[in-house]
Amino acid sequence: MQPPNGFPDPRVELFSNHGRDGRYNNRVNESQLIARVIAGDRLAGRTLYDTHAPRVYSLAYRLSGDADKAREFTQDTFIRAFARLSQFRGDAAFSTWLHRIVVTIVSNARRSEIRTSREVALDEASSIEVSTPEAEPDLKECIAKAVENLSEAYRMTLIMHDIEGYTHAEIAGILGVPEGTCKSRLSAARAQLRQDLAAFKE
Amino acid sequence: MDDDRFEDVLRDLPRSYNPPPDAPLDEMWTVVEDAHFNAPISIDRSRPFATRAPWLAAAATLVIGIGIGRYLPSRATAATGSQPTVAASVAPPTADTSAVADAYRDQTNHYLGQAAALLISLPARDAKGKTDSTFASKASDLLVTTRLLIDSPAAAQDVKLRSLLEDLELVLVQIARLRGEKTKGDLDLIHQAVEQGDVISRLNSAVATTQSSE
Repeated sequence: MQPPNGFPDPRVELFSNHGRDGRYNNRVNESQLIARVIAGDRLAGRTLYDTHAPRVYSLAYRLSGDADKAREFTQDTFIRAFARLSQFRGDAAFSTWLHRIVVTIVSNARRSEIRTSREVALDEASSIEVSTPEAEPDLKECIAKAVENLSEAYRMTLIMHDIEGYTHAEIAGILGVPEGTCKSRLSAARAQLRQDLAAFKE
Repeated sequence: MDDDRFEDVLRDLPRSYNPPPDAPLDEMWTVVEDAHFNAPISIDRSRPFATRAPWLAAAATLVIGIGIGRYLPSRATAATGSQPTVAASVAPPTADTSAVADAYRDQTNHYLGQAAALLISLPARDAKGKTDSTFASKASDLLVTTRLLIDSPAAAQDVKLRSLLEDLELVLVQIARLRGEKTKGDLDLIHQAVEQGDVISRLNSAVATTQSSE
């Protein structure tokens, strides 16, 4: 059972105990799985990973737009999460805690990319003298460009809410902001997107 | 672009903006597994504990053996006290087997009692400050015996005992890692594991069972 946004419900017991494929298949709840991972149980680790990795990967891909990066970000997220599992207090849902990690990893990587691309752009600008005219972009390209042009906070909120289907409460928990901030960011992101797409003619 | 068209664009975003391919779950897991599960303490049931740590197993066997050795003469004395000397010296071979079984049961009982005492004396969930390191070292000691007992024929024959020992192993591993100042979250998890597995009452019940079969 999963809510529409795909977050596993922390109240739902997960399948546990070993099945034919070597994974867990009896009912054990998530906190027991976490305790088992801390104790070094690989199968519990795989069960926890299988529960959350598809959503983490999906978000990482939406935010990065690159399969290799999404894979790296997802791996990094789980490696860090497993290493810090003993610090997981259970104040928030495990999925929220996990998504905080992936969002931090992606944001840090994007910041570093933007910095590098600015430096490269400056270098290229000094060497390029003649620019070639580009073909008229289609709507999909315009949307992609408009989303990319959003500030990081707006872009992340829009992707999480309008594309990945997270609720405002979940986004607020993951990004560590009040729900109201989340709503106003989404509203501003949509307004800016609309403005950027206004000139588009089909 | 009018309002309706923009609404369509928003609705279509999940399909149009970076639609993710299928996640390479197995490939990613291989990396995660390699990076994480090389911890020094792990529960790996693919090989018996005795083959993973033969020196510890030998040491623990010695401890149990000494325990049984110390136990046996007192039982023998008690048994011969009320019997004629001749009868004691020509006791049938089954008497030895029975004595060893009794000794094993007493050692198991003693071990279960120690484990219960350790769990009961654990600091509360909201305990602040440093956890006494004796908990960790006591848990490490008990962990060796636990793993030996899990691999023993007795646990193989007694499903309930094996299940209890496995749950205890999990809890003891966590207690054995309790070191330093920041232990509140760890303590919470330990208490959670103890409560969810109903470990203390199962321990008490196991102790009662072994005592009643004496």
